[in-house]
Amino acid sequence: MSKLLNIEAVTWSVEKHVILNDISFDVFRGDIIGIIGPNGAGKTSLLKCLLNQYKNWQGCINLKNKSIRHYKPHELAQTFALVVQKSPPIFDLKVYDVVRMGLLPYKTLFARDTDADKKEIMLALDKVGLATNENKFFNTLSGGEQQRVLIAKALVQKAKILVLDEPTNHLDIFYQHQILQLVKALNITVIMTIHDLNLAAQYCNRLLLLDKGTLVTNSNVDKVLSPKVLSKVFGLPCYRDDAQHCGVPRVYFYPESGAADNNKMKPSNSSLDDIL
Amino acid sequence: MRLFNAIKGKSAWVFTGLLALTFCSIVMSITFGPATITSLDIFHCVVNECATPMHDMVIWQIRIPRVLVGLVAGMGLACAGAILQNVTRNPLADPYLFGIISGAGLGATIATLVLNEEQMLALPLAAFLGALFSVIIVFGIATLLRNMNHLLLTGVAVSFMLGSISHFILYLGDPFATNRVIFWLMGSLTRVEMFHFYLISAMVLLTLITIFALHRQIDALLLGDESAASLGVNVDKLRIILLALCAAVTATIVAYCGGIGFVGLMIPHIVRQLVGVTTMPLIIGSALVGGCFLVWVDVLARSALSTVEIPIGIITSAIGSIFFLAIMYRTRKTG
Repeated sequence: MSKLLNIEAVTWSVEKHVILNDISFDVFRGDIIGIIGPNGAGKTSLLKCLLNQYKNWQGCINLKNKSIRHYKPHELAQTFALVVQKSPPIFDLKVYDVVRMGLLPYKTLFARDTDADKKEIMLALDKVGLATNENKFFNTLSGGEQQRVLIAKALVQKAKILVLDEPTNHLDIFYQHQILQLVKALNITVIMTIHDLNLAAQYCNRLLLLDKGTLVTNSNVDKVLSPKVLSKVFGLPCYRDDAQHCGVPRVYFYPESGAADNNKMKPSNSSLDDIL
Repeated sequence: MRLFNAIKGKSAWVFTGLLALTFCSIVMSITFGPATITSLDIFHCVVNECATPMHDMVIWQIRIPRVLVGLVAGMGLACAGAILQNVTRNPLADPYLFGIISGAGLGATIATLVLNEEQMLALPLAAFLGALFSVIIVFGIATLLRNMNHLLLTGVAVSFMLGSISHFILYLGDPFATNRVIFWLMGSLTRVEMFHFYLISAMVLLTLITIFALHRQIDALLLGDESAASLGVNVDKLRIILLALCAAVTATIVAYCGGIGFVGLMIPHIVRQLVGVTTMPLIIGSALVGGCFLVWVDVLARSALSTVEIPIGIITSAIGSIFFLAIMYRTRKTG
């Protein structure tokens, strides 16, 4: 697999508070990378640095051997497509209008849509299984359908790397799997933050475990889902089930009974380096 | 034509209807007023020669400038409102929330109380400078706060501050001058000339061209800043360009027509129901509906009472408040 992205010693701080500390890893073509870790670990911040949305990060992020700082915004938009669902639009946007936004990085000022553009939008909607929903209002769709519309927008964007920020948040189990199956079937490079470790194990070929802004492990699913490491990072006793009925290991967290105080649940003082 | 090629189906019929309505509004509104003028008189004046010198004067020097200024002022205010609402993703955004009307009021107050009667031509200029002063303060504070999302809240605060200064000066000032400023702030097209039409239409045209150029970027903002940035949009720069443009067009209109509230708030809401929320149809629709609306409000202002003209700001505010109560009632009914 050829290397698409090289991240070298990326550090990002806000007023002396280090959010990301010396993060390094590579992204290869076809990778599906899951970024996991507790709240505040720096997962979304790492995505924003990759997209060059923060300006004061340090280190190197090279896309095809050229720093992303040297790319124009529309060139980066032709490489990275972001799927984020934080707040629904205020106004009644139609599904077609949302997907059409994916054309933006390729259009000059005053440019209008061509027939080919319209075909491309319909093709993208067809790929995500929403071909007959073009005139529906985005706000009236279910969470899973909204995610699929945003993925269709990313397809129209023709990006080489799909970046998803917690794509399964607020979705029921059916839609969680539907979205991730769709993402996997697209056969493009994917980087996503995800809270559910078992879902991440099932759909990603590589996991990055972040804790307090530091990259704890960057490896395949089997190595990253280590109960010792996960116990330390998440502050809860972790157990692993290697029963191979779904092809990947599964992990479970059981809080100690009666341990209301979180500090009691935190494993010993051993450092992550000792464990690793 | 190229502009309308992008708009098909139901929207095409809506825009054709709006264009026809605009044309009819312009012609018909010229016939309203104290002097009796028929559509045939207007036809003769435009195609050949006016029947009487009185018709020539009333049509070319009074009615046409007034109708045309009303049209472009309505267009400008409605477009500014539509853009502000899309750019800030706030359905209650309105050009006046930048404190433009209060700034213009302060400028007008100072000019009226400081300058004598012969220098009253300076009032529009003072109002324009006051409006710009207010916008600069609002932008300055929002930049200091490093949060453009606070722009509207800053505008409200600055608006109250400048308003209180104006009221204080008026309270201490000459009652006659005070009346003049208050009447001006209520909005009127009584004193407009063709020169004002050229000036305001140039600003409106500049606004429309800029918006047509940036319509995809503005659409991208509808899904949020983060999503727009990932599509290659420089969100802060785009927002500043558009806000400055809205401020400039509103300040120009306020300088010559006084305070005409609610147009920028109300018209985009109506147009969204007709043609959708994306920038191109919204702006074209808002311009046409806003223009027609103000033309007919001005007709009402000059014909409702036989002895005196009603300031148009009073009519737009009255219609606007009823409109919002109706929207609230409809929202309650539909859940």
